[in-house]
Amino acid sequence: MSFHSWLYLPCFLGMAVLLYYCFPLKYRFLPLLLSSMAFYVLCSRKLIVFLAVTIVSVYAAARILDTFNEEFREKKKGLAKEERKQLKKQVERKKKAVLYLAVLLNFGILFVLKYGNFLGENINQALKALHVGGRIPVFQFLLPLGISFYTLQAAGYLLDVSRGKYRADKNFARVALFLSFFPQMVEGPIARYDETGHQVYEGHRFDYETFTSGLQLILWGLVKKVVLADRANMFVNTIFKQYEQYSGIYIVAAAVLYTFQIYTEFSGCMDIVRGSALLFGIQLPENFRQPFAAKTINEFWQRWHMTLGGWLRDYVFYAVSFCGWYQKFSKNCREKWPKFFGGWISAVGALFFVWFGMGLWHGASWKYVLYGMYYFALISIGMLLAPLGEKGMQRAGISPKSAGVQIVGKVRTTALVCVGMLFFRAESFTAGLSMLKSVFRDFSLQPLLEGKLLGLGCDGYDFAILGIGFVVVSLVGAWKERNINVREKISGFPLPFRWGVFYAGLFCVILFGAYGFGYNAADFIYAQF
Amino acid sequence: METLMEILKELKPFVDFEKEEHLIDEHILNSLEIMTLVSRIDDEFDVQIPLVEVVPENFQSAKAIHRMIVRVQEEE
Repeated sequence: MSFHSWLYLPCFLGMAVLLYYCFPLKYRFLPLLLSSMAFYVLCSRKLIVFLAVTIVSVYAAARILDTFNEEFREKKKGLAKEERKQLKKQVERKKKAVLYLAVLLNFGILFVLKYGNFLGENINQALKALHVGGRIPVFQFLLPLGISFYTLQAAGYLLDVSRGKYRADKNFARVALFLSFFPQMVEGPIARYDETGHQVYEGHRFDYETFTSGLQLILWGLVKKVVLADRANMFVNTIFKQYEQYSGIYIVAAAVLYTFQIYTEFSGCMDIVRGSALLFGIQLPENFRQPFAAKTINEFWQRWHMTLGGWLRDYVFYAVSFCGWYQKFSKNCREKWPKFFGGWISAVGALFFVWFGMGLWHGASWKYVLYGMYYFALISIGMLLAPLGEKGMQRAGISPKSAGVQIVGKVRTTALVCVGMLFFRAESFTAGLSMLKSVFRDFSLQPLLEGKLLGLGCDGYDFAILGIGFVVVSLVGAWKERNINVREKISGFPLPFRWGVFYAGLFCVILFGAYGFGYNAADFIYAQF
Repeated sequence: METLMEILKELKPFVDFEKEEHLIDEHILNSLEIMTLVSRIDDEFDVQIPLVEVVPENFQSAKAIHRMIVRVQEEE
């Protein structure tokens, strides 16, 4: 059930909202839980059993971890520092056993279902290359909806309870709803328990402002998805499907338009998701913060798919960097190498796990692993060259905050992201490489000036809509970057203008949406992850 | 506080840590620098910063970092 379908928006969501507000405040979690389970069964049928295993195992493991934490808190009272340390070690050992078991079970399910096929094929290829007889059986499993999202959310909850960030929840329904809240099931955002756990459970009174904010956000998301992303998809598809026939400006245009497509689509989906949640009075975390305003690749990833980046930072990067063996490695690096270089090696070592995980999370293919490695290389090189850049600018008397430096940074970051997206969208890594090479083989602006890009899936009318859409999305982004709340700003306008904006959005979706004869409505790209 | 200021100056020589109050919000310190900073704090103050303390609020300013070190030292 796609979020931009008639089945979801007016039917399923409408019924769920109606049911929610029909129940007494105290029991509003019930229709929400029921809707979430119904949504899951409608989309994934019997595969709901995997979600159930995750909910039950995570609930139980968190409760056990919590008892260990409480045991430590009670027993440490009155103990000397050394005794406290000893006790802490004992408790940590017990906690690790439970934590590893629960994490292994849940990541094991994800690994077998999502990566088992990929691993099996690679082992078979290795056996063939080594001239070893026999093959291991390779199975293609059906992937339960949102498994990559809810598994990370579940692991985050467990790790937070284990670290003592908050207590484990005793309420099973609350944990179940936190892990299965239906708007988040398709593309996230990957929320933290302390952000949404209590929100999804507690009953919310109907609030006109929040409700209309939700509807407006859904409308804005639909405009981005149906009018812009699906339209850009038609040109992008044409070029990427027959990439051997194109080179130069055609490939550049396809990479730029795909970047625009994936941004409008993913952020549009997040708007629909966050808007849907607002209809129940629930605030979900933001996943995008004007990513193309980033001056460095590092900053880009603090603004793009923020909840995944934050998850990898807190539960992979910090977990690796602060664990015992890595601390020893870091110390050795700092002592054996010159100070800056030693620090760089130790940071880059921890970053490798983050970017390997980031790549693999996107899909079971070497293309995605190399996509992660592309960003790993860019960030590692960027860190190495940063002091040189800072010194150079200081000597030249250029302020890093000057407009020129900021613009150069933004253009460079956007160009590097477009290259990354080219590989992300390409059929395979080698196809991406071939496309990148062909850009330099015969680059000329002539096809663009002669209008030869028209008719490749998009005509002049489509490009005009994409152009206007680009300007509107950029303007909204620029306002948000200046901390201007666009919806509040619009609601401050006189009534006719205010309604004019909303009707314009609605008619945009109806009149300019990329559906109907000659158009193919595309599924959400991130839904496959 | 002096030792902490020395570590911070070494990490980011061009930043005025006496005045800056939004080191994380304004992207002055990133996660890589926090990792180095925490390792240096471990070395210099002989204190292990637990992961639960590695949150933006504890790294927004030199004062906030110092408050966290003192708190963790007391709790250990």
